[in-house]
Amino acid sequence: MTIALHLVAGVEFNTLPQQLVNGVLLGAIYALIALGYTMVYGVLRLINFAHGEVYMLGAYVALFTSYFLGFRPDQYPTGSTVANLLIMLLASMVVCSLVGVAIERFAYRPMRGHSRIASLITAIGVSLLLQYGGALFLPTSPPPSISEKVNPYYGQSKTFALAKPSPALAQEAEKLRPATESAKASYQAWLSTHPDANEFELPADGKALKTTAQDTERKYQDAKHKLDTGGVNLIIQTGQAVMLIATVVLMGILTYLVLFTKAGRAMRAVAHAFDSAALMGVNVNSIVTFTFVLGSALAGAGAMMTATFLGTPLSTFYGLAPGVKAFVAAVLGGIGNIPGAVLGGLLMGLAENTVVWLGYSNYRDAIAFIVLIIVLLFKPGGLMGSSKVEKV
Amino acid sequence: MKFWGIRFVSIIIAIVACLALQAFEGGRSDYEQRIIVLIGLYITLAVSLNLINGITGQFSIGHAAFYQVGAYLTGFLTVTYFAKQPIHNLGAWLILMMVVGALGAAIAGLIVGLPSLRLRGDYLAIVTLGFGEIIRIIVQNQRILGGSYGMNVAPKYKSIALVWMLAIFCIAVCRNLLKTAHGLPFLAVREDEVASSAMGVNVTRVKVTAFLLGSAFAGAAGALLAHFEGFITPTTFGMDVSFIILTMVVLGGTGSITGSVVAAALLSYLPEYLRGLKGPDGQALQIAGYNVVAWLIAVGVAVALIRWAINNYHGPKAKKYGLYVGAFLVGFVVRYVTSFGLKFIPGLAAKLIPVDQVRMLIFAVALIVIMLLRPQGIFAHHEFSWSWVRRLFTRRPVPQTAVSA
Amino acid sequence: MSLLELERATIRFGGLVAVDEVSFKLQKGDLFGLIGPNGAGKTTCFNLITGVYKPTSGSIKFRGSEIQGTPPNKIARLGICRTFQNIRLFPALSVLENVVVGGYLRHHTTLASALAYLPSALKETRRLKEEAMGYLKILDLQDVPNARSADLPYGMQRRLEIARAMATKPELLLLDEPAAGMNPLEKQDLMETVRRIRDQQGITILVIEHDMRFVMNLCERIVVLDHGEEIAQGAPEQIRNDPKVISAYLGEPV
Repeated sequence: MTIALHLVAGVEFNTLPQQLVNGVLLGAIYALIALGYTMVYGVLRLINFAHGEVYMLGAYVALFTSYFLGFRPDQYPTGSTVANLLIMLLASMVVCSLVGVAIERFAYRPMRGHSRIASLITAIGVSLLLQYGGALFLPTSPPPSISEKVNPYYGQSKTFALAKPSPALAQEAEKLRPATESAKASYQAWLSTHPDANEFELPADGKALKTTAQDTERKYQDAKHKLDTGGVNLIIQTGQAVMLIATVVLMGILTYLVLFTKAGRAMRAVAHAFDSAALMGVNVNSIVTFTFVLGSALAGAGAMMTATFLGTPLSTFYGLAPGVKAFVAAVLGGIGNIPGAVLGGLLMGLAENTVVWLGYSNYRDAIAFIVLIIVLLFKPGGLMGSSKVEKV
Repeated sequence: MKFWGIRFVSIIIAIVACLALQAFEGGRSDYEQRIIVLIGLYITLAVSLNLINGITGQFSIGHAAFYQVGAYLTGFLTVTYFAKQPIHNLGAWLILMMVVGALGAAIAGLIVGLPSLRLRGDYLAIVTLGFGEIIRIIVQNQRILGGSYGMNVAPKYKSIALVWMLAIFCIAVCRNLLKTAHGLPFLAVREDEVASSAMGVNVTRVKVTAFLLGSAFAGAAGALLAHFEGFITPTTFGMDVSFIILTMVVLGGTGSITGSVVAAALLSYLPEYLRGLKGPDGQALQIAGYNVVAWLIAVGVAVALIRWAINNYHGPKAKKYGLYVGAFLVGFVVRYVTSFGLKFIPGLAAKLIPVDQVRMLIFAVALIVIMLLRPQGIFAHHEFSWSWVRRLFTRRPVPQTAVSA
Repeated sequence: MSLLELERATIRFGGLVAVDEVSFKLQKGDLFGLIGPNGAGKTTCFNLITGVYKPTSGSIKFRGSEIQGTPPNKIARLGICRTFQNIRLFPALSVLENVVVGGYLRHHTTLASALAYLPSALKETRRLKEEAMGYLKILDLQDVPNARSADLPYGMQRRLEIARAMATKPELLLLDEPAAGMNPLEKQDLMETVRRIRDQQGITILVIEHDMRFVMNLCERIVVLDHGEEIAQGAPEQIRNDPKVISAYLGEPV
């Protein structure tokens, strides 16, 4: 019990809704990346370690596209339009698809006959190649970031007051205000009558006035702080809202492609039984390519949106943490399961922001692994997946 | 009696060799000493990971975590103890710390090994990697361990002899395991868990033993590193270190101790070699960006050709090797042709990259290339043995098994 | 006291009852057959006996004591060993090493003595290898001890599985389709070998087999399963003429 109390000490419950909303926004991006992991795993039974790096490249592509559109760090164009964002989004998605397909063609496909561990090692190799090879050629220091000017919604936000602070708090603050003001005024008056007084070595009368002024001021500020944090406000950046909407739209498109097109049906068949699908005349190679196109494009879209709307500085390790978390999200939802990846992504986003809210932001990267270990040990199939029993 | 005689002599030789190395290198520059020590430590790490990874088949890729546990645990103990009273015999203290580091890491290994009882293959890999990261993040957030700024380990004690004795000890233990019937359950678990347990092998015990032994060696290596360097930070044990150790095991051949030793020696020397290269102006050598790209393309072409030869050419061996050599030559040609062409790309031509920055790139390429061309690693499951050397000269087939008579 | 006794052993996987109240007894020295159409639950029966699965209900007694729920490695130590329907050798290990793994459960030295390379461990290793060579001879594999087991032809792999199982020195040997994929000549050889193992080593044998001629000629008593249920039990002659068995294999007369 003491531990539990210790864990929640210093937690401000009125920031919880904001953190949860942030969690959902972040989780949507994780879900987007997780879809790539889960589809590739579903089809090839391969943890595509390089997926995070594809995401990283997507962010760089968005950066270069923004440069191309004129939003360089040394220039100050004003005004951007949604068209710019769409161009960047499209560029990221297209380049990422190409990169993903190339990785599959030249690194994963030759490994298909070998053990899954061999493929995994290759994937690790590709991931390292892109991280460290990219670091040689891509701008990394100082870490570049996409100019916020390219974001037409920059600085716009909407505040929702979920709960007003109790009137008692307002009254208390109001009650303290006159005393504070008069104490401050009398100290100022004293100061004006003693123009040569040193503020740090005041005579006794001045010092008393100063102390009173400071004390009352502190009390007033405390009350005001209580008043401010007594209410529950929710601030949503317009950019983030746009990001969420775009994510939902992309997921909708993906659902359509997977559920209602011929290629999607073939993909599901391949995921179900790779060899049998091949025997039934499905062109497995083109389906695998299709899978990588979809997954990588989603990663590219996610990267473009985070890099633009959140403005995180880029490095070639940009994809490492989101990649890991998205992978965990995929496992959490049940790897190979598309709705599971979305659910897992949202849960991961929420979990991460809950950890931050609890005051353990240093551990926000560790939470992913902790969740992963717990899930794999106790429900290896994930929340929506099914675990297979080895046949003897 | 003869057995004990040979045993005694070989142990003496090993110890004398280590002490001689210490005497020979002790007076040299810090830089050189550091290379020798790092090679010894990486041999220990690679062989101990091979025990888990190659011999027992539990695909663990977070080995740096055990290294870290050993380093931080013993570093912390040394600092705490030294603050209270001076340590008189540093050599003995360091040996004690190696044991402590090994025990501490073994406990960590036990914890990390437990998931291996339920998970296989890629999932286990991810979990071990995750454990490694969790340990690193926890250490990073302990102010008492220096947080992310690192910890000063004082007094430091440089012992090349101990580093190499540990390496030899680690190799000996693994080799002994494989030479006796006790090694077979480990190999059997790698090959088929269900069949192993049907044959009466306690799979749980085998896996846990492998993790305990492997992590204990890494912990002892960590203790040596902490006291050699005198300063450790969490980034000394990052994911990249885990991947480097993994690369060594994979490159050498999973299951081959010889392979791990050779690959560890080569790959831990490589970055230092690169760092030591001097350009014509006497400064650290720099390589032009277009050359790096040209090399990558050349490697790609050579690999594609060799793969083609492996898959499609079934003629005599000599000709096949001829094709491989041809592929290398084509690679070289490609490298020069493309670099000539790439020179005209402005961004690439102007870019100068210090040559020691390409080491992780080389590791990554090595990892991919070895998987594409020879997934079983250079040495596959073969071990160095005198009968193997004899065979090289006599060309007479000598039976080769993991347990030889 | 019978050597092995299944009493109303049952296992369910979700809604599917794979083995439904199967009971039979094996006496020491029996050569017992377990037959039935595909999916009848024969291999599941083996998995129950060897501890791969725990029965949902019912009991399995070995030498009078209940063994259900005991982990497979302990069952092997008790003296029950098996072969697998889909061959599960240790592919990268040599033929000899495969058999030594079978004998490993009877080793007498500690792991520490092996890591220190003490003479006792070496002696033990040599002893296990000599024993293993003996088993290879019984199964006629003595010429290829150093071949990789994955490189052996199919029939030899099946024999190697038997040699490996015998190396555990079981009292009861379970053979899961030992003749699958063999030609008639090999089958004849195998039949003689199995009989010899029983006669010379005194090992009780339980065989699953699809080849009716093989089972009828080899086994002295037979249990027939269909859809997880036991439908007949008795000597080969009885089984051959049992209408229930005939209809299970050929379907009901229309």
